[in-house]
Amino acid sequence: MATVETRALPRPRAQARSRLTINALLRRVTFNAILVLVAFVALFPIVWMLAGSLQTIRELYGGVTFWPSTLQWQNYAVAWNQGGFRVFIPNSLLYSIVTVAAILVAASMAGYSLARIEFPGRNVVLLLILAILIVPLPASFIALYKLLVDMGLANTRPGYILALTAGGLPVSIFIMRGFFVRQPRELEDAAVLDGCSAFGVYWRVMLPLAKPGLAAVAIIQFLHVWNEYLLALVMFNSETLMPVQRGLTRFVSSDTPEQHILLAATAMAVLPIIVLYAVAQKSIIQGIMEGAVRG
Amino acid sequence: MAVARVALSPGARARRRGRALTGYAFLAPALALIGVFTLLPFLQGVLLSFQTWDGVGRDTPFVGVRNYERVLGDSIFWVSMRNAALFGLVGFLAGNALSLAMALGVNAAPRGATFYRIAYYLPGVFSVVVVGMMFAWILQPTVGILNRTLVALGLESLKHNWLSEPATALPAVSGVYVWYHWGFGFLLFLAGLQGVPRELYEAASIDGAGAWQRFRYITWPQLTPVTTIVTVLTLLAALQIFGTVQVLTNGGPGYVTEVPTLRIYKEGFQFNRFGVAAAMSVVFGTILMTLSLIQIWLGRRIGSSEVD
Repeated sequence: MATVETRALPRPRAQARSRLTINALLRRVTFNAILVLVAFVALFPIVWMLAGSLQTIRELYGGVTFWPSTLQWQNYAVAWNQGGFRVFIPNSLLYSIVTVAAILVAASMAGYSLARIEFPGRNVVLLLILAILIVPLPASFIALYKLLVDMGLANTRPGYILALTAGGLPVSIFIMRGFFVRQPRELEDAAVLDGCSAFGVYWRVMLPLAKPGLAAVAIIQFLHVWNEYLLALVMFNSETLMPVQRGLTRFVSSDTPEQHILLAATAMAVLPIIVLYAVAQKSIIQGIMEGAVRG
Repeated sequence: MAVARVALSPGARARRRGRALTGYAFLAPALALIGVFTLLPFLQGVLLSFQTWDGVGRDTPFVGVRNYERVLGDSIFWVSMRNAALFGLVGFLAGNALSLAMALGVNAAPRGATFYRIAYYLPGVFSVVVVGMMFAWILQPTVGILNRTLVALGLESLKHNWLSEPATALPAVSGVYVWYHWGFGFLLFLAGLQGVPRELYEAASIDGAGAWQRFRYITWPQLTPVTTIVTVLTLLAALQIFGTVQVLTNGGPGYVTEVPTLRIYKEGFQFNRFGVAAAMSVVFGTILMTLSLIQIWLGRRIGSSEVD
């Protein structure tokens, strides 16, 4: 009896299974097609810009060329030399590196204090920084500009760096504080017993433990400074001081350059970011989410 | 007891004072920078909104509430606020729906999740200027790839001068905005989905729940905190949109795509009416900060209800 049953059953089951697989296959293909299509839409504008940046103006205007017959690297040379990017890119590097360094020092110290030292008024300071976090730049850039003018810092490198450092601090302090809070108490106690000063505990014990936090803050703030535009727009009128995003809009409006040079210029403004994203996408994504949840 | 307390308290007090000193010493650089370059301008901005300033001189005479009267009567400013609200609505509806749908998709994808995550978020790391430049080229009326594709597909009637026609400018900029920002919500939704306990789905499957029911009764309620954060942050980002619009249309044609930050910028730096610009900033800033407070309040409420 048992053998008859097992012999009789397989056929309808196999039929049902094959019908199901066709349906499932169809569904899986559609599903994957949508995922790929959205990836295409997300990536196409950047690829199109990069492709165009290596074409001649004739290729660009003549028809739809995806891959240029010969790669026109001189477009980049023109943007670099005549478009002012040989000034803008080093400027942006300088602003990014100095601002990130200043933020790392000030934010890690403040984060350490708010996480590990118990002192009166700590909660008030925390609340104050949280309150500062919600003051948006569009609501304060006019007054910030006036302050910089009053202090003689408008259209100067220190003015830009100081304003950006202050702007990046609140969220960085919260991220750093999060890292310090999670460290075990015992390490600190042991260091104090060994005769470490408060600064020694911070510098030799806590800071090395918070390396992932420092890296996250550094990457997020580098991105932020490299991409910053509004403040650079209002405070710089000397071309020699402009960072790359401001330089790019300056380039567009100044002498109406040709489209292929513009695309090369845009590519230069974004390539460092693409490289950074390729190398550190995990930290970037994590940092952005931490910032979002804390903010 | 009393003796002990008297004997202890000077030392304890000294230690307490020492701790306070150390605590504030560590905070000093950050607090000084924030105080001078964030807090002070914020307060000065409120002051400036009752003054007039040409952007150059030292003279800033008081004018009472005249700046605010001007802001109330400035119909372009209110058009810009309406546009910002519109961007917020588009970001909220289209952007968040896309974010959630794609997060569900990638979360269910058997492979390639890392690639999709990287690809979908890539636009989010670009600067506002770069995004503006890329789309100015794509939407270029005569040789831009969008119009060329439409012609190649025989859809010549759909060809538009996207950024210069009043009817298409705002939808075009909204589209760019969604392309630029939806990845942010996607990331947060994806993280939220990965945080939903598997057992819930297993239990539901045993009970015979279908895909829709699993979404409706497990995924959606579990995502409530994420949805709240994404909604408010999307709205805040949309209201503050500036650089992309400046590059693509500079608020035009006419004032069809004007947005508040751009309006404030022009009022100050083009028309040299910094007092009026400051008053606009105060009005606009109040709205933004109210939204942030609502977000924090909602976050707290959700957080505490989770604990319960």
